[in-house]
Amino acid sequence: MRKLGLGILLGLVIVGLIGTAALAEQKVYKYKFFIVSHGGAADPFWAVVRRGMEDAARLLSYSPEYEIEATYFGPKVASPEEVVKLMDAAIAANPDGIAVTITDPRIVDEVVRRAIEKGIPVIAINVPDMRPEPEKIPYMFYVGGDEYLGGVKAAKILLKAAAQKGITIKGAVCAPQEVGHIGLETRCRGFCDVMSDNGIPCEKLQIYGEDPTRSVEILRSYFAAHPETNALFTTGPQGTLPAIQFLKEAGMVGKILHVTYDLDPVTLDAIKSGITLATIVQQQYLQGFLPIVFLTLYNRFLLAPASDVLTGPAVVDITNVERVEELIKEGYW
Amino acid sequence: MERKTIETRPQVQRLESTLKRLRHQAARYPEAGALVAFLVVFLGFSLTAEHFLTIQSFAGMLAVIAELGIVTVGISLLMISGEFDLSVGSVLAVSSMSFALLLRADIPVIPALILALIFAALLGLLNGLIVVITNIPSFITTLGTMMFWRGILLAITGGTPVAYFKSNLVFQVLNSRFIADFRTSALWFLLTVIAFHFLLKHTRYGNWVYATGGNEEAARVLGTPTKQVKLINFVISAFLAGFAGCIQFARFMAVDALRGQGLELEAIAAAVTGGVLLSGGYGSIIGAVLGVLIVGMVRTGLVLAGAPPYWYQAFVGVVLIVAVIINTRMKRRAR
Repeated sequence: MRKLGLGILLGLVIVGLIGTAALAEQKVYKYKFFIVSHGGAADPFWAVVRRGMEDAARLLSYSPEYEIEATYFGPKVASPEEVVKLMDAAIAANPDGIAVTITDPRIVDEVVRRAIEKGIPVIAINVPDMRPEPEKIPYMFYVGGDEYLGGVKAAKILLKAAAQKGITIKGAVCAPQEVGHIGLETRCRGFCDVMSDNGIPCEKLQIYGEDPTRSVEILRSYFAAHPETNALFTTGPQGTLPAIQFLKEAGMVGKILHVTYDLDPVTLDAIKSGITLATIVQQQYLQGFLPIVFLTLYNRFLLAPASDVLTGPAVVDITNVERVEELIKEGYW
Repeated sequence: MERKTIETRPQVQRLESTLKRLRHQAARYPEAGALVAFLVVFLGFSLTAEHFLTIQSFAGMLAVIAELGIVTVGISLLMISGEFDLSVGSVLAVSSMSFALLLRADIPVIPALILALIFAALLGLLNGLIVVITNIPSFITTLGTMMFWRGILLAITGGTPVAYFKSNLVFQVLNSRFIADFRTSALWFLLTVIAFHFLLKHTRYGNWVYATGGNEEAARVLGTPTKQVKLINFVISAFLAGFAGCIQFARFMAVDALRGQGLELEAIAAAVTGGVLLSGGYGSIIGAVLGVLIVGMVRTGLVLAGAPPYWYQAFVGVVLIVAVIINTRMKRRAR
């Protein structure tokens, strides 16, 4: 009996040893990543990015092979200047990778280059360095939307919808809601380039996001002076609001076709009620999720995409608006 | 030849003296410069902008003018009493946002409106108390509160608009179409103008306002409660800004944290164009209204005239400076 007990004990010890040896053979890869952003931590847009980042880190860490620690660094209120301080803090922690927004390339140029020179893999997210090659910060690649293609997409949606409805677009207008915002101007350029290619006159009309009353009257005045114009592209929620108000009040719903940018309750409602054809989005969840996956792949296998990875322009229209609305509540859009 | 010259000289002299008398009389009215500017701008657009002289265009201008005008009336009153309010844009947004959030919390619309307005008035009281108690210039105080409230709004909402999709009778009364394209907001503006014109020109309080802004020390010696006057005017300025915010919300039923940004400068520009002196003690509600009309006309007139969008600010800048030059020259002549 005692012999048997001893035998079992011995057997257990051997099995245990072999098991431990096997486990020891499987190395655990521990990576530490940062997302450094200009976006306010309380901003719902960035909450979705952060969610994507956390989900990716958790999913990868389910594998016994990986332990991924991902942290979001963002100022309380949106600020491109804060990015420098946050980058300094991130570099000091000596991470295995950083994803950073290049909101103002001149401000972050030095600190991002310093990270790259230290050998930290750096990905740009949300906003790329739009300067030409010699000045451009040599980060690996960019994960985010493309403003110009967003405008192109908006124009194509409008033209397709017009063809389906049997309407001829005789004039188009792009209404940026912020003066001198390069991103919005680029959206307008993409939009008007497509319109011009199709022989449709296209103009830019400045409206003012902070003053919807004035914006409505500007739209009203413009369409009074250009009654033939029947396509309208607004470049964000602050432009959507006066645009749909104008369309409703002037009885122009369905006569002037409207496409806009980004998501908010007013935009969703306008798409559901058929005032707005569609809105262009950049799927920012992917801007948090993908960098963590890419940085892990790069650290582990030296694998990386060969070019920028575009998360937008994607489209929300009548076909998917209900589902997207649910997903916004769940925090994925 | 010689006889003719001799004959015309008295005529020229007479004409000169008539002009002088006219200018002298005009100088007694702070709105004279603004009236001239108004007529020039009006004529200019009538000739150059094709759709300018239409009912629709007037209704549109009036919609813009009404909201800016309500804010400008409050700011003018405060400026005449010698103080500034840079926080009106932020107060407009805070009030509009409170109205939205109260409605979303299922508070009935009338109590929600009253609470939002009281809140706006309290923000004005805070501005006034800081200025009166600490003697920090109102320019700095309200610059601080302007930034503070805007920051709070951004932090609370994170930049996402707050919308409320159920219209109701109160919204209709505050801001809806009542005849052609004219909106009820214009009636509220008219009511505000009449009330505050009366207050300023026909009450003892009005005299106090001028006295406080003209020479505070002398006014105090003569028994004007200058501190109270300033406090009340700060409250009025914020209340009217809040009211404009609620009127705006009643039309759009959505508000975001950046609403009303830059409004303070437009309101001050309108008031100054209308003959309100930055140094206080001089100006009128009617003048301020003319100033608002000019700014409103320029806003929509330029679009109708097909001018590039960036011209708007440049144009307002020119109008502002020209109007101020006319105003100060006239005022100097009056002395």
